[in-house]
Amino acid sequence: MSRKPQRRQDPRHKKCEFCSKEIAYIDYKDYPAMRPFIDYFGNIMNRYYSGICLKHQKMLKNSVERARFMGMLSYRK
Amino acid sequence: MPVLDETTTEEDVRTYEFCVLYPSNLSQKEEGDLLKEIEKTIEEQGGKQVSKDAWGKRGLAYKIKGHEEGNFVVYYYELDPTKLQEIDTALRITPNLLRHIIVKPPKGYEITKYSESYETWLKEREGEGERKQKEKEERLAQKVAEKAKRQVKRAAAKKEEEEPAKKSETDTKKISAELDKLISDDDLDI
Repeated sequence: MSRKPQRRQDPRHKKCEFCSKEIAYIDYKDYPAMRPFIDYFGNIMNRYYSGICLKHQKMLKNSVERARFMGMLSYRK
Repeated sequence: MPVLDETTTEEDVRTYEFCVLYPSNLSQKEEGDLLKEIEKTIEEQGGKQVSKDAWGKRGLAYKIKGHEEGNFVVYYYELDPTKLQEIDTALRITPNLLRHIIVKPPKGYEITKYSESYETWLKEREGEGERKQKEKEERLAQKVAEKAKRQVKRAAAKKEEEEPAKKSETDTKKISAELDKLISDDDLDI
């Protein structure tokens, strides 16, 4: 019996979630919008895994850093 | 080299966002004074308030100067860009102010009040918690019911097992008695 090797979904084929919603600006006060892209330790997820485009990743980084400065998000868990 | 023309920048006005964090354990008078001072520092430089959004008490993600909870207030001001630096330095030395941030929102930015959305989000989360608890209780009740059913079944099975055994005992007694009778019968011819 030859079994098919289990394969993970290729992370490269994901699409940018912000682009699909046509978001022009990620607000640093909008926690629910940023939460999916922050892991348990408070780090921003790698673009390779989240599939965000570079433009939105930079926006996300900006807003997350602002939120961290204001004490809304943690730097490190 | 492009040169910044100061005569033109003085006239054009943009909306700026000021987010302010102060500790939650201030007395009401101190809090009022602080907010008034902040508003005064901005308005002294010719700012015009567009809107104000007080978030109320929120937990902080990490301790800031020993405080674990703080109050957030978000202001929107129409302001001359050249005055920003002075406001920033003035806010930096105001007492009782933990953090402040000045953000230039992009063009076409709609001012959304996050205090309201936060409350609705909290309510949703509470609802979710209640729903989860209900589901948990339901699952527990189902488990208990299933266990009771299984126990009843087991008890019934045991009884059934015991009853035929008893029956068989009585049967054997009867049969043995009859046999004794038969054997003791003298009329029997074998």
